[in-house]
Amino acid sequence: MDARAEQKYSLGVVRWFAVMAVVYLVVGASVGVYIASELAWPVLNFDIPQLTFGRLRPLHTNAVIFAFGGCALMATAFYSVQRTCGVRLWSEKLAWFTFWGWNLIIVSAVITLPLGFTQGKEYAELEWPIDVAIAVVWLAYSFNFIMTIAIRKSSHIYVSNWFFLAMMIMITYLHVVNSLSIPVGLFKSYSIFSGVQDAMIQWWWGHNAVGFYLTAGFLGIMYYFVPKQAGRPVYSYRLSVIHFWALTFGYVWLGAHHLQYTALPDWTGSLGAAVSLAMIIPSWGGAINGMMTLSGAWDKLRTDYTLRFLIMSLAFYAMSTFEGPVMSIKTVNALSHYTDWTVGHVHSGALGWVAMVGAGAIYHLITRCFHTEMWSAKLINVHFWLFTIGTVVYIVAMWVSGIMQGLMWRAYDEYGTLVYTFAESVEAMHPYYAMRAIGGAIFLSGAVLMLINVVMTVRKSAAEGKVDQARTAALASA
Amino acid sequence: MSSLKEYFSTDWAAMTATDWVGTILTVVIFVLMVVAYVYAYRPKNKEKLEDRKFQLDDGERLDSGEKNGG
Repeated sequence: MDARAEQKYSLGVVRWFAVMAVVYLVVGASVGVYIASELAWPVLNFDIPQLTFGRLRPLHTNAVIFAFGGCALMATAFYSVQRTCGVRLWSEKLAWFTFWGWNLIIVSAVITLPLGFTQGKEYAELEWPIDVAIAVVWLAYSFNFIMTIAIRKSSHIYVSNWFFLAMMIMITYLHVVNSLSIPVGLFKSYSIFSGVQDAMIQWWWGHNAVGFYLTAGFLGIMYYFVPKQAGRPVYSYRLSVIHFWALTFGYVWLGAHHLQYTALPDWTGSLGAAVSLAMIIPSWGGAINGMMTLSGAWDKLRTDYTLRFLIMSLAFYAMSTFEGPVMSIKTVNALSHYTDWTVGHVHSGALGWVAMVGAGAIYHLITRCFHTEMWSAKLINVHFWLFTIGTVVYIVAMWVSGIMQGLMWRAYDEYGTLVYTFAESVEAMHPYYAMRAIGGAIFLSGAVLMLINVVMTVRKSAAEGKVDQARTAALASA
Repeated sequence: MSSLKEYFSTDWAAMTATDWVGTILTVVIFVLMVVAYVYAYRPKNKEKLEDRKFQLDDGERLDSGEKNGG
């Protein structure tokens, strides 16, 4: 029980964000497994428009990225900034406004997306009133974080806070610029951009949502929680400085690699691919930095199941940040684009990196914020293996399926005619779509175990009165 | 060689304001990256920078990490 932390820091809002992150992980992954099953067995549409893949897919992406990812980022940023700066949050009221505002936005997404209200922009589907709300709540979150740093007691701003800051600043202007639109009604608007400019702005946002929200933000998590859980300082602080600046300068250039072989000028795609390849250096530097933090203490992986999540996430981070640049090269892109290979790549990052590092950080947080050990350590271990196996099954299915799709689509016979019809390629995908749904279901079962473990830990903490005891002890010592 | 020369040839007169902004920005960022690398890996700065990794020790004990010399 850490009475000092309970007295010194604002942990209430962190507790709520952490628990809600796990709830949304289960919800988002459930929708993902359902739509994956729809692709394998289309009868699951039940001819109900609200249940079709087109309506539920954006709900899945919004739930896992903004509901799970957002709550995980807000919990970890609010927790780690206090501890690294040695002060409470600048404003607890603003933090609670962020919590309720963010959750209201998530509820709005759950209602509007299945009903078909969408801007049709990937990862930015929500209609304009919700976009305005996102900007307001995101600014409240960022302002509170920045002001907490401003009142810090430490002289230096620890590197995890740099990554969180980069995410907050970049996502603010990416979201605002990409969402600029002309409303024609409460639930309908049109982008102010059109044609190829609209595509470029969309993928400038799309790739940087990955680059800053799902990478820089989660690297902030990595730089705080890996050393904390390992009980050792990060391997090289100098490498973290280079990792930060190279990532921050480099990532914004990559969006154009999503638009190879389109109306976009050829050089922009080439530039995007060239900078993508250059990004392997900082990405691998960061992954090595995180893993080598365990240098001399690798034995901890045998007994510390939370640490396993954090280290395995770095392996997937290294893998997907190598795969992405390779896929951006025009020659490879000619085969991979529009195929399931892209889906596999995204999920090696989303399941292997984002969900893994998020889960590891949340397990760490829950024990520190509820002042008790996890209800079941064994369940964490089972969860770890379900996440790992589920992710591998998923991405292998999509690799095979995607490369097969690409090869079938480009196969010509001796007369220059396409060998396969599109429908034949769809039929060939069926076993892999079933395999993907199974991989997703394995992953989802891990998330369900995590939710059970977290709920039981919270109940255990409440039954033992741990939070109240910590508060009382803190008051007594004050 | 001639093809390389051709590849790198530029019609400077045709450069627009946007082209110049992009070019200058690219060069400035490249220079800043070089500055960052030199700053981070200058032996003189090693101790100062590496000391900051212990800032995490806010009451929760970290091992010495003597093998984590960077």
